[in-house]
Amino acid sequence: MKKILFNPFERYSEIALLLFGLLATIVASLAAYYCNGRFDGIIDMHLAEEVPLSAPFVDNAINTVTLFCLLFILGVAINRKTRAIDVLNTVLIARLPIYLLPLFNISNRLKSIEDSINVAYLSELRLEVPDLIFLLVFALVSLLCLAWFAVLLYKGFKISANSKTTGHKVLFATVILLAELLSKYIHYLI
Amino acid sequence: MPARKLPVNCPSCMNSLNVSELACPECGTHVSGSYPLPVLLRLNEDEQNFILQFFLSSGSLKQMASQMGISYPTVRNKLDDLIEKVRKLQSE
Repeated sequence: MKKILFNPFERYSEIALLLFGLLATIVASLAAYYCNGRFDGIIDMHLAEEVPLSAPFVDNAINTVTLFCLLFILGVAINRKTRAIDVLNTVLIARLPIYLLPLFNISNRLKSIEDSINVAYLSELRLEVPDLIFLLVFALVSLLCLAWFAVLLYKGFKISANSKTTGHKVLFATVILLAELLSKYIHYLI
Repeated sequence: MPARKLPVNCPSCMNSLNVSELACPECGTHVSGSYPLPVLLRLNEDEQNFILQFFLSSGSLKQMASQMGISYPTVRNKLDDLIEKVRKLQSE
């Protein structure tokens, strides 16, 4: 079970991972549409008032392609035998934990809390205890999802490129940051 | 009775072991000398089994992945690591 959750890349075939990753991305994009969520960066999720149907799909396409391109370039630089499909599967599967986050906004629950704390002065802030607890749970789950994303991405990339050294790890972290910056810029442009 | 493993490294200093005596199970003839172990025998049991599987799969990594129940890139990485290890042993 631990292996399925944290390192499915060691066990499942590339076709199975690709199909599951694509299907999950489509379902998650639909869920984000219904929950008014936007993925405006590799590791970002924000809420909006109204989200067009195409928006989460475009967001995920940009994030997936950006991260894939940069990781693939790094993968090939480390090991010429790195396959594109393995890197693509890594990106598709690694992003799944982030897709859980918009679900906290079912019935606009999270957005209403966000609006209530978005006040001009701190003295105007009024937060009910259930809302505070909900916010804390969301914060904790967000951190866990982020960590899960990082573990999946690293494990998947390690297998795709057979990366081993500390230098590879540093480059990997640098590429993630670059991908985040690039994806934010592309989102800004569109 | 569990299969006995051929030791390839000295338990005292971890250096590679050499073959110093061979015996014929039929006539009892003993041959003494100092013969370095072939490279393939200096690998551990799992590595030797991996190479054997590779050979029996006619070099098909895809077939090996399917038989071993692991993904293609995992098999490929194991093979690449093993190739590197064998090259190091050959150069010693």
